[in-house]
Amino acid sequence: MIVPYGDMLLLAIILFLLGAVCSISRRNLLMILIGVEIMLNAAGLAFIAASLKWRLLDGQTFVLFIFAVAASEVAVGLALIVYSQRRTGSVNADQYNQMKG
Amino acid sequence: MKTYLFLLLFFPFVGGFILAVIGRYLPRRVAEWIACASVLGSLLMAALAFGSAGEKRYLLTLFDWIQVGDFSASMTVYYDPLAAIMALMVTFVSSLIHLYSVSFMRDDRDYVRYFCYMNLFVFSMLVITLADNLVFLYLGWEGVGFCSYILIGFWYSDVINATAGRKAFILTRIGDVAFGIAIALFFLILDQLSIFSINSKVASLSAGTATLLALLLFWGAMGKSAQLPLIVWLPDAMAGPTPVSALIHAATMVTAGAYLLMRLFPVIAVSSIAMVTIATVAAFTGLFAALAALGQKDIKRILAYSTISQVSYMFLGVGAGDVMGGMYHLLSHAFFKALLFLGAGCVIQALHEEHDIFKMGNLRQRLPAVFWLYLVGSVSLAAIPPFGGFFSKDRILLSTFSHPEPIYKFLALIAEIGAVITVFYTFRMFFVAFLERPPLQEDFRKKDLKIPKFMVWINSPLAILAIFAASLNFPEVFGGKSWLAHYLASIPGGIPLFPTSAPIERSMEIGSGLLNIAVLIAAYFLYRPEARFLGRPTPVVFRQRLEELLSSGFYLDRLYHVALVKPYQAIARTLWLKVDEGTVDDQFDATANIFRSFSFGLQLWTTGRLSTYLKMLLLGFTAIVSALALGWYYLR
Amino acid sequence: MTLYAVIFYVLAAIVVLSTLLAIIQRQVVNAVVCLIISFIATALLFYLLGAPFLAALEVIIYAGAIMVLFLFIVMTVKVESDEDAKAEIYRWLPAVVLAIISFIVGGVLIFEIPGSKISLNTGMASPATFGQFVFETYWFPVEIASFLLLIGLVGALYLGRRESRKESEDRP
Repeated sequence: MIVPYGDMLLLAIILFLLGAVCSISRRNLLMILIGVEIMLNAAGLAFIAASLKWRLLDGQTFVLFIFAVAASEVAVGLALIVYSQRRTGSVNADQYNQMKG
Repeated sequence: MKTYLFLLLFFPFVGGFILAVIGRYLPRRVAEWIACASVLGSLLMAALAFGSAGEKRYLLTLFDWIQVGDFSASMTVYYDPLAAIMALMVTFVSSLIHLYSVSFMRDDRDYVRYFCYMNLFVFSMLVITLADNLVFLYLGWEGVGFCSYILIGFWYSDVINATAGRKAFILTRIGDVAFGIAIALFFLILDQLSIFSINSKVASLSAGTATLLALLLFWGAMGKSAQLPLIVWLPDAMAGPTPVSALIHAATMVTAGAYLLMRLFPVIAVSSIAMVTIATVAAFTGLFAALAALGQKDIKRILAYSTISQVSYMFLGVGAGDVMGGMYHLLSHAFFKALLFLGAGCVIQALHEEHDIFKMGNLRQRLPAVFWLYLVGSVSLAAIPPFGGFFSKDRILLSTFSHPEPIYKFLALIAEIGAVITVFYTFRMFFVAFLERPPLQEDFRKKDLKIPKFMVWINSPLAILAIFAASLNFPEVFGGKSWLAHYLASIPGGIPLFPTSAPIERSMEIGSGLLNIAVLIAAYFLYRPEARFLGRPTPVVFRQRLEELLSSGFYLDRLYHVALVKPYQAIARTLWLKVDEGTVDDQFDATANIFRSFSFGLQLWTTGRLSTYLKMLLLGFTAIVSALALGWYYLR
Repeated sequence: MTLYAVIFYVLAAIVVLSTLLAIIQRQVVNAVVCLIISFIATALLFYLLGAPFLAALEVIIYAGAIMVLFLFIVMTVKVESDEDAKAEIYRWLPAVVLAIISFIVGGVLIFEIPGSKISLNTGMASPATFGQFVFETYWFPVEIASFLLLIGLVGALYLGRRESRKESEDRP
């Protein structure tokens, strides 16, 4: 007997929102990506909880795929950050405003 | 008889129609012939009808015009002695004026339009003269108004003329509204639109209804005949060609108002309030116009104000219950006023379009024929015995004086003062324009004064009639035969309601005759050739201010402009700028602006910064989740 | 309150706390380190919830590979630390407000789920069972995931290469 299902989902929501806040209110591109990672992690937690509730392994399978996707996404994202830092010389999200208007 | 009356109306109409359609393609002489022949044909018909009618009356339907349910307006004519005399006068004077116009308009290229509308005008006037059905009469009424508008503004390329025509039309229209209401009321109350039937059913009208009807008719007549307060169009109407002024504003249209009241006299006679009103307005208009004529310098404007004054005498006659007197004055006025206008036309053309009497002079030697004709006309207008104008005007004054109500004595006094002033201004005009004058800067004596002889001699019949109009109704107290009185005795109002006793009549006639002659002599002294003040450039008898007051017609025009025209224009301007452009047009702009400002607001979101877009993402996420929750919550 | 519940709440507290610390940090390195702690705690949580294989994978991939990659990039990339404190609250405020709103809504939603108050029984999915399940039912997504990893590799390689001088002249 662990905790009720609701508590687990509540934890997942808290973590997700923490990641969202980080992603939104930080200017550093790296911190934005870290926020994304936190959000993915929280989603995975929710899946594991659901899997435990319904006694199915599908939830855990999806977490596996989340890991795979997160990994490749981080790789490409960081490569993009490096590339754009070389082009514009800054990792400040506010500097990239040529699409204004 | 029916043929005569039908042709009487048909000839001028068809003349105008032909000229309208193919007049341009006809040679000039042919077009003029058609115009004059049609009116002369009417004259012939009028004479034949007069001859064969005797003292009988005829009620004939010429054409069934409108028939809707209970309402029927057919072109019916009612030919009684009043209509007979009027038709004769109208056709006679119109024929003379048409012939005069042939010569007067010899240099004008728009003669087709002129003669076409003159013919149509004669047609409309004859309709008014003869019509029995009120709607048919209204047709003629509107017809003369329309033709008068066209003919006043004949030389429309000059904006002043067009404006004068428009002014005439609008002012007479104001009167016509009342007349139209009266027609509707006649149909409503009496179920009749025939003058003959209305006159026979007069007993069934209550005094109040009759007063209302009479006042409405009077207002309509005031518009056409230029009585106060609707007088301001007539002086400006002198912008038209002189024959037009002679025809319309001397003999026919301005008398149509008085004529209408005479035709419907039984209705008016029921209400004494209406009679008093008519008489009062007429008397004061007469005095007003006479004073205004005293201050004018333009010869035609003097004659215009004089017309207003003389027409008011006709109304005064109707108001005093003497239709015969009014008709008598109508006839003699037609003759001498037309004569004066045509003579003025001769003078104006001879002096190369000069209208100012103070710039004329010395015409006795240069234009002797015109001089004598004009003298005859002036003497008639001024009511110097023994010419026709004296007897007709005096007849009216007697009737007014004999009326039992005290107010009529006062009105008679006012009318008498007006008559005295008439003498004065008439001879001021005559002496200043025609007698010898000291030298001026612009000296017409050096210029060539050539006018066609025909134009001058065509006026002689009018002069003869003006002289001998007295014999039409020489008062019996002096041993004459009152033919006109006997002839018109059978029409309603033909016999004056309050006949004068013989001694009073005799003494008053002699007294006023002497008074007029005395004023003539006084005018001669003031305006004789050697008079000192005539040497100045613009000689004035009165002081500057007074002259301005009189010459502008007591500032009546300006009063109307300030009181009516300006507010109307202000309202129109407000409606145009504020409502039409401001509200309606700007509404579309405002609606478009809402979208513009909305877009501007939205523009603030497109900062191009990543952080903004991420915020938006979270906002959207929150919104969606909240919406889902609410939906799920309420559907549960 | 069983032992498992206590462990769950303790671990949950650690996760939340360390994540909170991570997002507040000014320096990226500090944030990454806090996040590693969070991930390890999450791994333990996974184990508690009956997914030991995934717990291991969390440590290996997430904490081990991804965060280390972050550290490498932090070292390579020059970060100018000019975060002024004045704009801090204005940047945080809308996010925090929205987050609180979402949290309340989400909380209400979770509260309404039938059966959300019932404590769950423990369970354990052994790696063998898990692997068998994955390759039997979801073998196709596995292949696609590997393809995805290949794409990521190629993309990262291309984006990360050093440009020769000729290419930088060609670029408009």
